Amino acid sequence: MKKCHITFQLNGRTCEVLVDPNQTLLSMLREDLSLTGTKYGCGEGDCGACTVLLDDEPVNSCLILAAQVDGHKLTTIEGLADGDKLHPLQTSFIDKGAIQCGFCTPGMILSAKALLDEEPNPCELDIRTAISGNLCRCTGYQKIVEAVKAVADDCQGEN
Amino acid sequence: MLLPKFDYNAPATLDEACRMMAGYGDRAKLLAGGTDLLIALKKKTVTPTQVVALNRVDEIKGFLSDGDGLFIGARTTAAEIALSDLGPAGQALTQAASQVGSPLIRNLATIGGNLVTAMPAADMAPPLLALQASVVLQRIGEQREVLLSDFFISPGEQVMLPEEIMSMIVLPRLPEGCGGAFEKLGVRKALERSIVSVAAVISLADDGRTIQGARIALGAVAPTPMLAQEAGAALCGRKATAKNFAVAAEIAAREAKPRGLRTSPVYSRLMVEQLTLRALTRALEAANL
Repeated sequence: MKKCHITFQLNGRTCEVLVDPNQTLLSMLREDLSLTGTKYGCGEGDCGACTVLLDDEPVNSCLILAAQVDGHKLTTIEGLADGDKLHPLQTSFIDKGAIQCGFCTPGMILSAKALLDEEPNPCELDIRTAISGNLCRCTGYQKIVEAVKAVADDCQGEN
Repeated sequence: MLLPKFDYNAPATLDEACRMMAGYGDRAKLLAGGTDLLIALKKKTVTPTQVVALNRVDEIKGFLSDGDGLFIGARTTAAEIALSDLGPAGQALTQAASQVGSPLIRNLATIGGNLVTAMPAADMAPPLLALQASVVLQRIGEQREVLLSDFFISPGEQVMLPEEIMSMIVLPRLPEGCGGAFEKLGVRKALERSIVSVAAVISLADDGRTIQGARIALGAVAPTPMLAQEAGAALCGRKATAKNFAVAAEIAAREAKPRGLRTSPVYSRLMVEQLTLRALTRALEAANL
């Protein structure tokens, strides 16, 4: 098994890593780069706890080989805050009580971010569809949808 | 879950990928979207010594149309297809693509992968059968085009040789006045493997009422995705009325060959009938728009 040398953009910085060919992107993030905000849930693409943004699109990092991100752009939950200043979605999740156990939160926020980047003023169905690959075992969907909506409404207010 | 040990290959062109597959044969597995392969690797149901990733092979991604029809690169994702405008008949395919897995899965899963894995419930197979699609299979210096209706053999099995790579899906140009629709039954709205799925494509004569041709395809109710040929034939030359649609739906239900794996065969057939009726009704609306 020959190791793979990969270079990619991680949260705005160039990153060079030597990975095993049979290593998932999720395992590289958590074990090699200590970015444990990305969670390991089901390992089969069903729960969305491992969601990351690959070239700005939300994907399951448990279903991607680390070697595949060579040359691509990656955003994890750690890349959202600007220093100590949280991303508006992060603040909104806290304000609206959209976090219970917190395990689904990074994935939820990244799926929501991808939606808002594409459609700044989504309807509720857009929001529910966008997070339909992210499961909340605490079943706190209502608050999560409200938290995303609040940010969308904020954007509208600014315009 | 640890993955078996393999070497990772990332060819930059289709030609290079074909050479690799010719050399490795059945020791290698092709990696496109990975939403099926990664799970199979984790479960060790496949244990290749080589993985040939296609994510740099951009020549088999995207859409191209000419006078003969539409060509969809096999690496085009479900999300890209869901967002594309494939016309009133092609809606059958865009609607199916928009219901594959979840948004996260759709950003990875490819149309080629959905066909190559040959699952009876593959969402994009029925609309492609209804649209008379064929697939182009490539190996070194040679390519062949296979009608999708001749492609599937049994669950998980299709006609491809180990060294072949699916490069594109070909949709023949359809006449004016065609419409299509896709219907899927599951127990939830996302991340659902279909219990029954139906795609219908109809073509209307100039009067806007007489059906010139109809193709109805069923998913998850037979060992492979299948065409309900008699049901489609029963509509030819008839008027597009609720009564005629009901007759065709009943025939489609009889043609289905449910094995009772996920639900009872009786229920499967009843749902084939209902979904066929809905798909035909919506296909007619699409054709008349």
